[in-house]
Amino acid sequence: MNLERPQGQRISVAIVDDEHSVRVSLRRLCEALGLDATVYASGRDFLNALQNGATRADCLLLDAHMPHMTGLELQNSLVESGSRLPTVVYTADDAPEAQARYVAAGVREYLRKPIGGEELLAAIERAIAPRGD
Amino acid sequence: MGLKSYGDSAESGGKVAGHARLRRLWGSDGHDSLWPAFSRRLEQYIRDEPAGLSPLVANPYLRHWMSKTRIDVYSDDARSIPLSMGLLLYVPTVLLANQLGLLLRYPENGSSGLFLPYAVLTAVLVVSARRYWIWYLLTGVAAHILVHWPQWSLTWVLVANAANVARAVTAAVLIRRFLGFPPRLDSIRALGLYILAAALLAPAVGASIGATNVLLHHVEPTYWPTWSAWFMSNALTGLTLLPALMLLLANRDAWSRWRGHERIAEAIVLALALILSAILPHVGSIGAALPPGILFYSPVPVLIWAALRFGAGGATAALTAVTFAAVWGAFGHTGPFGSASPDERLLVLQLFVLLTAVPILCIAVTSSAKHAVVQLHRALLASLHDHIAIIDGRGVVLEVNQAWRRFAESPDVPPYKRVLTGENYLDALTLAAESGDAGAARVLPGVRSVLNRVRNRFEVEYDLDRLGRQERYQLSVEAFERADGGVILRRTDLTARRQAQLEFEEQRRVLTHLARVSVLGQLSGALAHELNQPLASIASNAQAAQILLKKRPPDLRELDAILYDIVTDDARAARVIRGLVALLRRGEARLQATDATELLNGVLELARTELITRKVTATTSVAPDVPRVFADRVQLQQVLLNLILNACEAMNGDGSGDRRLELIVGRESRNTVRFSVRDDGSGIPPHQMERLFEPFFTTKAEGMGLGLSMSRTIIAAHGGRMWAENNAHRGATVHFILTVAPAAERESEIARDIATEVAPLHADIHVSQEAVAMSVTSTTNA
Repeated sequence: MNLERPQGQRISVAIVDDEHSVRVSLRRLCEALGLDATVYASGRDFLNALQNGATRADCLLLDAHMPHMTGLELQNSLVESGSRLPTVVYTADDAPEAQARYVAAGVREYLRKPIGGEELLAAIERAIAPRGD
Repeated sequence: MGLKSYGDSAESGGKVAGHARLRRLWGSDGHDSLWPAFSRRLEQYIRDEPAGLSPLVANPYLRHWMSKTRIDVYSDDARSIPLSMGLLLYVPTVLLANQLGLLLRYPENGSSGLFLPYAVLTAVLVVSARRYWIWYLLTGVAAHILVHWPQWSLTWVLVANAANVARAVTAAVLIRRFLGFPPRLDSIRALGLYILAAALLAPAVGASIGATNVLLHHVEPTYWPTWSAWFMSNALTGLTLLPALMLLLANRDAWSRWRGHERIAEAIVLALALILSAILPHVGSIGAALPPGILFYSPVPVLIWAALRFGAGGATAALTAVTFAAVWGAFGHTGPFGSASPDERLLVLQLFVLLTAVPILCIAVTSSAKHAVVQLHRALLASLHDHIAIIDGRGVVLEVNQAWRRFAESPDVPPYKRVLTGENYLDALTLAAESGDAGAARVLPGVRSVLNRVRNRFEVEYDLDRLGRQERYQLSVEAFERADGGVILRRTDLTARRQAQLEFEEQRRVLTHLARVSVLGQLSGALAHELNQPLASIASNAQAAQILLKKRPPDLRELDAILYDIVTDDARAARVIRGLVALLRRGEARLQATDATELLNGVLELARTELITRKVTATTSVAPDVPRVFADRVQLQQVLLNLILNACEAMNGDGSGDRRLELIVGRESRNTVRFSVRDDGSGIPPHQMERLFEPFFTTKAEGMGLGLSMSRTIIAAHGGRMWAENNAHRGATVHFILTVAPAAERESEIARDIATEVAPLHADIHVSQEAVAMSVTSTTNA
């Protein structure tokens, strides 16, 4: 069940969600699934950690719906800053045009809440898989 | 001259030239701004100058204009007798004046007892449109000349005509001014003015010109005897034949309504009585056999009868008949005026008629005035849908209206409500109360208290099972000023009104609910998110737990933390659903003490996601001393949600990221609390401020524009008020004020009152608090 990197390292996931309960439950799920998880309460917190080199995440698990800085805005600023961190966005909003916007912004995977464990693992796997580009 | 030339020019194409001149005079077309002003002045001129028609006829422009607008200008026409009818009456009178005059003239002195042409011409003028007057006058003069000239000298004939015209016009103008058109002789004041005009002033004018004429043509050497003879005969005419004829013509429409056989029979009997009492004694040998005193007074009872039953018209017609008989009798030397010298006889006769006419006319006028008042009072009572009974100080019914009678005679009515005129309402009510009728027992003290003047007014509402349905009535008992006291009972059928009110309340409930559902519709995305958050957490936690359980040994502390979080999230989801259900439910409004902080938190929880989406930061500040308000929680949430969403909309337009929404609650006065929703959006344009709370007023692409109007309606139904204003710096604030919740024991009392109220939310809460099913309003006699 555990998803190992080729080097045998555990995959590290950064979770950004403004909701405490969602943040905590997702961290638990990720850890139960054998991932390393760090949580951030806002896009700003995560960007700060990234700048300080305080995060070594392989994948970003991002809530679309947040105050001040939305998931889309965080993604855009990541792309702008030249980061190539693969992003998985999750949201309760299943409007096709919303999904299209995220894909256009370079998001790798798009999940709808509530997120199943298997589904989450598969999405992260796909997201961090080396791509042709 | 003017007339002729205008007609010619019109025939020979000069019409165009005429129009061109008109246009030059009045502007580009005939309907320029000068036109209405001019026509107004002309109309006034015609009205104020009855005899001043000659310049009007002479002026070609006016004639042209009159031909186009005749009907509009002379609204008199509708009330006028036709010209042909007037001429048919008047011309024969002039032509036969000599012959008729012979009948009424004393041969010895040549004086006439009555002067027919005066009566006929004046009566015709009074009841005709003013534009016909010129025709009567011209025709009258022409006929007079035809009959008397060249038999008499031209100057004599012309001055005699001048006397006739001046007298008739004076009388007609004054009568029209005093009595209106058509004339109405229905008050003592009107009678006085009429006598002044028709029996004093006009005869004086006629007599002055006539006597001068006589003097000028040396017919008589002295002025005053002639003057007084003319004056007396005209004054007599003015009190007898003239009013009879005038009222006959003025009330010609009423003849056709004279259908009642009884009234016609009465008129015939009256005529017979008049012949017996007045005409026979004056004519022939009967009069000679009786003492003169009896002959004088024998017609008086008949004349009073005519005055009482047939008004001024009937009385003057009867007086005319008596006068004719008296003159005729005197001519034949019979009757009470048959003896003595001619001059003396005539004077006595005229004085007799004059002195009889005035009191008889007074009787007629007061009687018809009283009759009119009674008719008015009957019509007023009959026109009322309410059941009315007028009761004297002892409780006896003096009068009831049709509605009361119909109700009293309808089935399923308790006996004490069947009381009609002449019966004792109070006794019937007391009897019913003593025999256990609850309704009567409830009404009785109220009726008694008003009858005894303990209070001036008493009101009670009650239900009555009648004709298989429940009806609701209001009975009001009101004191009225009368020597021996008394009350007016008014019973109003409220069934339909109550039904309408129930329907109105139901509609308002539906509409309020629809508006609420519509607000929730606007929030649906945000609300789904709000529910999804805890559900997502629960799902993640549960899955994590499943995996952890498979580990050996399972991390029990972590599992415990997970379960705790699941329970917490579940409670949160349940809270959202409860809030939603409360808003979606279509229930009765329930007023209760409501805590402002609790209320704001509930609303913000529902709006949270929406605020996040719109990047709005909401802050609440509730003053520490704010008491609980008296409100329906759901409706108040609806109002706050509307205001929050509106504020969000207002802040939508600006690009800056900092959007602040403030919810402020503070004490307004000792027993009111003010809620304010303050945004820092673009503010309200001044021209929209007025319309902001109108239904269907919206600046948004979506939404029906019902939010704010519905909010204000809800607040008004709570007895509060809502208004908006722009902030000093930027953005706008909507405020509303609510009443502080009463103390606990008072609250339950009010809740009970409101439960008995049909409408849970009355327009004014303060009123409904006081309203109880049976309300007694009383004003103690000072």
